[in-house]
Amino acid sequence: MLEIQQLCSGYGNVPVLRDVDLSVKPGEILLVVGENGAGKSTLLRTIGGFIKPERGSIRLDGKEIGGMSPEAIARDGLRLVLDGHRVFPDITVWDNLRLGAVVRKDRKGFDAAVDEVFEVFPILKERLRQPARSLSGGQQQMLALGQAFVAQPRILLSDEPSLGLAQSLLPPILNFLRRWAQSGTAIVIVEQHIDIALSVADRAMVVERGAIKLSCAARDLKAHLRREAQNLSPV
Amino acid sequence: MTSTAKLYAAAPTQRRARAKTDTVQLAIACVLIILSGLIPDLAGNDYWTLSFQLVNLFIAVAALQNLLMHDAGQTSFGQGAIFGVSAYCASVVASTYGLPYWQAACCGVLAAVLAGFLYALPSLRVQGYYLGFVTMSAATVFPEMLVAANRYTNGINGITLNFSALHERTALGVSPMTLMVCGIACAVLAAHVLLRRTALGRRLRVAAISPEAAQSLGVSPGLMRCLAFLIVAFGTGIVGTLYTPVVGFISPAAFHIDASILFFLAVIVGGRGHILGTVVGVWVLYLLPNILLAELAQYRLLVYGAVALVVMLLMPDGIVGTFERWRLRRRTSQPLQSVGLERLLEFHRGPGAAGEKPGAVTGNAIDVRAATKRYGSVSALDSVDLTVRNNHIHGLVGANGSGKTTLLNMLSGFSRLDSGSVRVAGQEVRSMPAHRIARLGLGRTFQKPRIFSTMSLWENVEIGIDAAHKHTHPACLLAALRQAMEEGNVELVPHGQRRLVELMRVVLKGSDIILLDEPAAGLSPSEREQFKKLLCRLRDELGKTIVLVEHDLELVWGIADTITVLEAGKMVAHGSAAEIVDNPFVRKLFIEPTHA
Amino acid sequence: MFDELAIVVIRGIGLGAIFALIAMSMNVVYGATHILNFAQGNMFVLGGFVAVAATPAGQNLSLWLVLVPVAALVLALVVALQGWITLIPLRHSVEQNSWLITTMAVSIMISATLLLVQGPWAATARSPIPPLTMFGVRTPGPYLALMALAIFWFFALRWFLQRTLVGLAVSALSQDLEAARAAGLKVRQLQLLAFAISGLVVGSAGFVAAPLMSISADTGIRYVLNGFVAAVIGGMGSNVGAMVGGALVGVVSMLAIYFVGGEYQGLVSLLLLVGMLLIRPEGLFGQASARRV
Repeated sequence: MLEIQQLCSGYGNVPVLRDVDLSVKPGEILLVVGENGAGKSTLLRTIGGFIKPERGSIRLDGKEIGGMSPEAIARDGLRLVLDGHRVFPDITVWDNLRLGAVVRKDRKGFDAAVDEVFEVFPILKERLRQPARSLSGGQQQMLALGQAFVAQPRILLSDEPSLGLAQSLLPPILNFLRRWAQSGTAIVIVEQHIDIALSVADRAMVVERGAIKLSCAARDLKAHLRREAQNLSPV
Repeated sequence: MTSTAKLYAAAPTQRRARAKTDTVQLAIACVLIILSGLIPDLAGNDYWTLSFQLVNLFIAVAALQNLLMHDAGQTSFGQGAIFGVSAYCASVVASTYGLPYWQAACCGVLAAVLAGFLYALPSLRVQGYYLGFVTMSAATVFPEMLVAANRYTNGINGITLNFSALHERTALGVSPMTLMVCGIACAVLAAHVLLRRTALGRRLRVAAISPEAAQSLGVSPGLMRCLAFLIVAFGTGIVGTLYTPVVGFISPAAFHIDASILFFLAVIVGGRGHILGTVVGVWVLYLLPNILLAELAQYRLLVYGAVALVVMLLMPDGIVGTFERWRLRRRTSQPLQSVGLERLLEFHRGPGAAGEKPGAVTGNAIDVRAATKRYGSVSALDSVDLTVRNNHIHGLVGANGSGKTTLLNMLSGFSRLDSGSVRVAGQEVRSMPAHRIARLGLGRTFQKPRIFSTMSLWENVEIGIDAAHKHTHPACLLAALRQAMEEGNVELVPHGQRRLVELMRVVLKGSDIILLDEPAAGLSPSEREQFKKLLCRLRDELGKTIVLVEHDLELVWGIADTITVLEAGKMVAHGSAAEIVDNPFVRKLFIEPTHA
Repeated sequence: MFDELAIVVIRGIGLGAIFALIAMSMNVVYGATHILNFAQGNMFVLGGFVAVAATPAGQNLSLWLVLVPVAALVLALVVALQGWITLIPLRHSVEQNSWLITTMAVSIMISATLLLVQGPWAATARSPIPPLTMFGVRTPGPYLALMALAIFWFFALRWFLQRTLVGLAVSALSQDLEAARAAGLKVRQLQLLAFAISGLVVGSAGFVAAPLMSISADTGIRYVLNGFVAAVIGGMGSNVGAMVGGALVGVVSMLAIYFVGGEYQGLVSLLLLVGMLLIRPEGLFGQASARRV
């Protein structure tokens, strides 16, 4: 569904991504890992339209979306949830969700989606009328994902959903993503906490210095990494 | 000796005699100014003679605004008021106190400099359009105050002064007034070009583009701003003293805010930063409506506004700016093969080296004790100790949020500790501003290389030389480097080379301690290998001390003598590469990067 | 003495209502685009010009009331058009200063048009609102009308930005532009809407304030500068700040006009601006991410 070929992009004059190939199928969860500065966020931001690719192609169900604005890409069904649990702080939880759904026009679909969000994250229902800034970091992340969910995108990109959150908050979030994928959405997660994220991922990819170093099934990742670390260890 | 001789010989490239853009524009501008000043005078047309004298005065003021806005990066919508302060002060002193005009003019210039100083003060607190609005308010208030102080200024009736002697045409066919005005306008433009070539001019520009880079080179951005305002006010003051002699009469109406806005728009519409831009801007915005609409005076203002709008929509870089971009795009440039860092290092290794090796210096390069910094409830640094020995490469690693960047900023003075002490080169720098720490011999590079496309490639390196307090590199070496880099187009320099240019700048500055902030970011694997060798050479051949903040653990473990590992603001491991490799925190970093 | 003071303060608040209205209109655009519309002062004057053109309304209260929203709508269209022009060069780049020039150029063109239409003389309009006695002070109608209008717009904008979906979307732009884009909000269209709304505010304000203004080519700048000072003092982006800042600037200005002289109003305003920027650049109610060094 999402096909990326030979993608090169960066910031200003700094090249970050070099010839990246990637593809995700509907219902699949792809986990992207790598050290800081490897280019994971750049990858998601380029796909999401915030960075113009220098070269390469990004296709969503055959349509070329490389170079389109983020708003247009979101309307085409690819939703990027930025890192840092970003929601609109002075707007209530309810209104944040409503704003998330502006890309879709149907009211009934929205109601059903919102109900699902409340089922998974009941705290959001409790704090419905409160401004988003009064939520904790973890709750804001839940809201951010909920905001993306009600848009019912075909593809979801989630940049470090666990950033700054307590470990205990991760399982419900990741399970939510699992459920989401089961309904047919393709999901790409960039994460640092490999252990927990691996439990819901189907495939995994390691990015190093702007290039894909390794791509395998999720369950094989740890073995591959251990082997790499042994090769790498100095002395 | 042959190898040294080869080093200093010029590279045998075909050097196309390419005159610098500034000089060409200056020549064209002066020709236009002189022609436009002399022709009406020679033709005997009083109306146009006066008009062009005024135009050339405006060009001079706009040129100074260009300097202020582009070179110094200060937004001022009130230069007309400074022009007016000088003109009025000179006129009042001459008419009320009867002093000879040249003495009155000195008073005028003094008053202008004072006004410039008043503009400089808010620039230390705010920048951008806020500063613009402050200066605009001042410029709006100025004519009102002139009217209010009518006891001295004669209010709206204005002051008349007789300078008819200067307007009489001499045997040459032109009046002294015309010559003076043309002379001043050309002189201002020439001074601008010359200033750009001096160290002061370069410092102004760096401070404007990147205050942090300026500080890391020992330059105080605040001081540069003040200097810029004062220099420009001085020049505007001199030009202002010619206003009344040209017109013969001065009244508050001449210094309405419209004048200030005209100067500002002329710079932008012409093309900011371009010497020829001010001439083009003033001609297009002031002269053209006045000439074309001589019959329809009431439409002048509308045309002026419309022209400014249309030019900005079609040519956001200004008229001359857009032309220059088009011209540069058509010219094919070869990308630079190497930036000459090798050559610099060869010098230090060769027999000609002046022995700049502080390897025998006692004491530590950097000594940090119990450094603590909090942002609200988060501890960025929690009682961190760090000792960096001279002539070592010291690695600083940790996940995002571990505090390594905070620590680096503390060392270089861009951030302040809450408690603890920091000693650099033996001196306590805890409360020292960044530019003073830089002068102690500390140099740093930034994650995104601070290479400026508004300066030439050589100038980017030259600012390092400007910042050195001892001249350890011989002139012939510098000349050779300059020749090699002169042809380089900054835009085409690939990222890896930019990193090297920044490093070259730091070396030429003579920094003994070099802080590198994630220098390997964006480098290809082969570039990283070269970089590792480079850092080792800096340590071994030049005796530098290097602190390296990095994510690339392989790189750090490959070359660092000592490594400090931070996590969540605390130091969790410290020692040589081999010593700490079994530390659990280190193992975690290698296998599973976790978030601090 | 106290009576005099009361007169000045009440009129000062009325004057301050003008500055507050201009500041609020600037806030709407600033929040959505980070552009300070320099032409806002002249747009305000244009609103007053509508009142001059519709002279019969000076006698007829009901006609006048009908024309307030008309003036608002006319200016909404004009400012939206200006906004569209201003945003064109920004289409391909986020950080550019072309908007400074384009807004200034539009301001100049409006001044020029006014000059062409009515010459260098100032025009005034009559107000159909009778003077009212408040707190024992007889205050001309327009001052009170302006205060009412400022209060109206304060609540209307608040309602719009917090209760309607479109308004929430506009507000979202000022809170987190990237998140708004990622969510698929139609940023350009919302920005144009912000311009249009600022036109509504400023158009109605100009129309109501017409009897107090000398409507000429020169007055626009004074209003935009004072509006800017009010916005800075209150805190850029905060409407509460705009109201407080406006009142402060208005009262201090009126005191200066009465006790020192009308020609010193600009100086007083400048001193307030510089004072606030030196002490607290983010203003009374603003966030500490003001345009600092």
